[in-house]
Amino acid sequence: MKRSHPAAHILFLVLLFSLFALPAGILVLVGLAPGWRFPDLWPERFSFAGIEFLITHRDRIAVSLASSFLYSLATVFVTLCMCLTPAAAFARQRFPGKRLLEALVLTPALVPPMTFAMGLHMVFIKLSLADTAAGVVLILALFSYPYMFRALVAGFQTMGQGYRVCAGNLGAGNIAIFRQVELPLLVPAMIAGGSVVFLVAFSEYFLVFLMGGGNVPSFTGFLMPLLASSNRSLAAILTLIFLVLPILLFFLLDWCLMRSYRKKGMI
Amino acid sequence: MTLRWNLTCLLLILPIVFFNPFAQPARASGDPLPDTPFEQIREQARGTRVNWYMYGGWAHVNAWVDTFVAKEMKQRYDIDLKRVPMDAGVFVNKLLNEKAAEKKTGTIDLLWINGENFKNAKQAGLLFGPFAGRLPNVQQYVDPGSISHDFGFPVEGYEAPFGRAQFVFEYDTARTGTPPDTVAALKEWIMAHPGQFTYPQPPDFTGSAFVRHILYAVSGGHDPYMDGWDPDLYEKNAPLLWDWLNQIKPFLWQKGRTYPRDSAFLDTLFARGEVALGMSYHPPHAQNMIIEGSYPDTVRTFALKDGSIFNTHFTAIPFNAPNKAGAMVLADFLVSVDAQISKFQPENWGDFPVLDMNRLTLSDRQRFEAVDLGPATLTPEQLAKTAVPEIPAPYLEALEQDWKTHVLDR
Amino acid sequence: MSWTGNRTAILLLKLSPLMLPFLVLFCGGVFLTVCQSLGLFTPLPHTGGLVDAYAVILSDPSFFASAGFSFGVALASAAGSVAAATFLAYRVWQLPKKMAGAALVYKIPLILPHIAVAFVVLVFWSRSGILASLAHALGLIQSMQEFPNVLYSGWGVGMILAYTLKGTPFAMLLILALLVRFDVRQIQTAAMLGASKPRIFFAIVLPRLAPALHTSFIILFLYSFGAFDIPYILSESRPGMLSLHVFDLYFKHDLARRPEAMAILTLMFGFAVLFIIAYSRTVTRLENGVRKL
Repeated sequence: MKRSHPAAHILFLVLLFSLFALPAGILVLVGLAPGWRFPDLWPERFSFAGIEFLITHRDRIAVSLASSFLYSLATVFVTLCMCLTPAAAFARQRFPGKRLLEALVLTPALVPPMTFAMGLHMVFIKLSLADTAAGVVLILALFSYPYMFRALVAGFQTMGQGYRVCAGNLGAGNIAIFRQVELPLLVPAMIAGGSVVFLVAFSEYFLVFLMGGGNVPSFTGFLMPLLASSNRSLAAILTLIFLVLPILLFFLLDWCLMRSYRKKGMI
Repeated sequence: MTLRWNLTCLLLILPIVFFNPFAQPARASGDPLPDTPFEQIREQARGTRVNWYMYGGWAHVNAWVDTFVAKEMKQRYDIDLKRVPMDAGVFVNKLLNEKAAEKKTGTIDLLWINGENFKNAKQAGLLFGPFAGRLPNVQQYVDPGSISHDFGFPVEGYEAPFGRAQFVFEYDTARTGTPPDTVAALKEWIMAHPGQFTYPQPPDFTGSAFVRHILYAVSGGHDPYMDGWDPDLYEKNAPLLWDWLNQIKPFLWQKGRTYPRDSAFLDTLFARGEVALGMSYHPPHAQNMIIEGSYPDTVRTFALKDGSIFNTHFTAIPFNAPNKAGAMVLADFLVSVDAQISKFQPENWGDFPVLDMNRLTLSDRQRFEAVDLGPATLTPEQLAKTAVPEIPAPYLEALEQDWKTHVLDR
Repeated sequence: MSWTGNRTAILLLKLSPLMLPFLVLFCGGVFLTVCQSLGLFTPLPHTGGLVDAYAVILSDPSFFASAGFSFGVALASAAGSVAAATFLAYRVWQLPKKMAGAALVYKIPLILPHIAVAFVVLVFWSRSGILASLAHALGLIQSMQEFPNVLYSGWGVGMILAYTLKGTPFAMLLILALLVRFDVRQIQTAAMLGASKPRIFFAIVLPRLAPALHTSFIILFLYSFGAFDIPYILSESRPGMLSLHVFDLYFKHDLARRPEAMAILTLMFGFAVLFIIAYSRTVTRLENGVRKL
């Protein structure tokens, strides 16, 4: 096949960067220059007012970040528990109505979350689940579990039945097989599904606002009022934190995984 | 093996750690009975936490509450203050939901509220009270006549005063020469400068106040409305208002097809030069924005000669507040001389005090007079010249509903 | 008999961690929404007929304007995302190994929350924004007012831009997952047989990407139709998006109007379900048709 000219590739990379990376770069500038306005192409004055705000409010920001982080992690955990055994069943067994059920099970991720969350709100209030982290985790898990489900089904299918049968033949009981053979092999799928669920939960504003009622701190809740305000540099800096944090987390996760694989001699 | 074990342990500990931080700390138990002396209420509230739900769109106000107020509450009364940003309409709705679900213990201790939100809350039985008359600072420093009515609706002690506000317009002296000084002049100015003016979409608080201004001006003043809801009066005068608004519509920003969602959006448009006039229900707003760096320092404020509406804003306690004693202590502190002076400083907020100057000692009065509001803010004396009272709440609600039908959808 | 009964019981047990929340919370939630739209289980006792809320909603012309607007915005952004993603993903796949790492920047909007992407669009495209400054610097415009009215033109362009910026990387992810497994030799053979580059793309690559394209289109379309985050920052007053209308009715007006909010939500839910069914059926029919040829 005729290879494309390298210049075309470079041009394409420039396009990619200006579409996706340039906004992040501009945010850095906006963050450092609260007074940047038309028609300056480059800000006139830089100031650290935004960074000072960050430092004076580090407690509140830290609490919101930690809270978002924790409830997102809890959502991953809950969706994992919800989807493990059903995914195994879907991947390995054939039963009547499976296709219909699969389509049904995926609907919460497709229909607008408002449609079922607002209906549930009254019930959550009566059950004292509203305004609690548990309520927030429940509703987030409810609308993000399809991603975990899909990833786990794919993971089980890739894994196949071979290992399980082998281990069974060697005398291992069902629980032992699950814990020692299947779960480790499922880790890539869990991480793939878990990353999506984590991101979805971490970036969600409306559901946390509805079910948390202001009592559950969230980073999106902290950021939202600032985005519409005229204090753009603050909004820009907090958005950058939002960008940097998951990237750091994934690097961390990647490093932990690589370390553990290396220890086991898998790499 | 180790990684998996660690992960499992982490995941198991997580729920325990996770559900704990949101468990409420010590709460003062039981409602403060009507004849409990305030000292005892203060004792009851010691070591507890108070959740204060208030509008969160102003970073400087948030900063003042989080630093000064929180620090003083901790030092003086050993109370942990937690500020929660939430629009007034939204938390009234939340309380309505909770009342309908018979939730006896909610999460809100103190509210920042006034106007139609207060009326709706009081009428629906959402508020605890009367409590305002029991606060020592209110008894000592506040003129009862000034807090007897809120938007024409009797307060009856269900809310405690917090600050005073008056509607002003903002303009940039570097860009705009002399701003219009009456509503009629404003109309001519808008028509002469198409695309340079707009107002936040009602039911936003500021946009709604702007509409009320125009109503007063086109119907000859505020007096007829002060007697209470008169449907005939409304039917007679409202069309004059809609005509005025529809006449300027083609000359507005975006030709009046869309309006800024709320006052924060309008602030951004004004700050970035997309419109030439801003507006705010808070006189110190422009100075705050200048200090923050969002407005250029050539911005000044002005009020229309026809009359600029003023109001008092309050704090109130919900029926299901878990810590009513703490809320009362906080409400009392906010009316204290120290808090009102700190609030009056433009680098903190600049909001006008609700205290009756005649009841203050000479030194305290001098402290207030010594505050420099900054070049962009008109002084209380200047603003008092054009001050007119707020309209009774039923008119407000009718105006907000009908604006959509008669102006937006036309 | 008991053998199969046992197996079914075990199957149900295995499915229960998912089916229980699904039935109780999701189906229950939808059921409650429908009930509240009919006036049952509302916070305030409902005075009026069962379908009063629907009558009010359906007789309001601004409801249909909002619905049409939401549909249009969703269609434009989903179609735009999928089209852009196909082109971009194809070119990314063709990048030489050394440059492939740099292409990972496309994932940035995936990590940003929707509200942040809306903010980015605001900063760039508002009349006083970055692109306006650029146009001024290039001498294309003299003042702010000359910059085209992108965000508030009445066509929802701001929201479409934000949804597309967020949706394109998502679709790229799905498409690249398929492209990675693509057999390059098919392309090489076609090239050897004299097929031009566009023809290779449309006749060979595109049909194989169809599953990813359809999946991402459905997901992005339904998301843009009913989401709240981006319209909250970028929406226009009239016509507005349906989700904002529901938010206003639920939070800012008195509780007696709750059934109206629920009625709109029920209609949105019904539309979403119908759309999924109709789209899947059409796609299957089209694909079957192609195969038969």
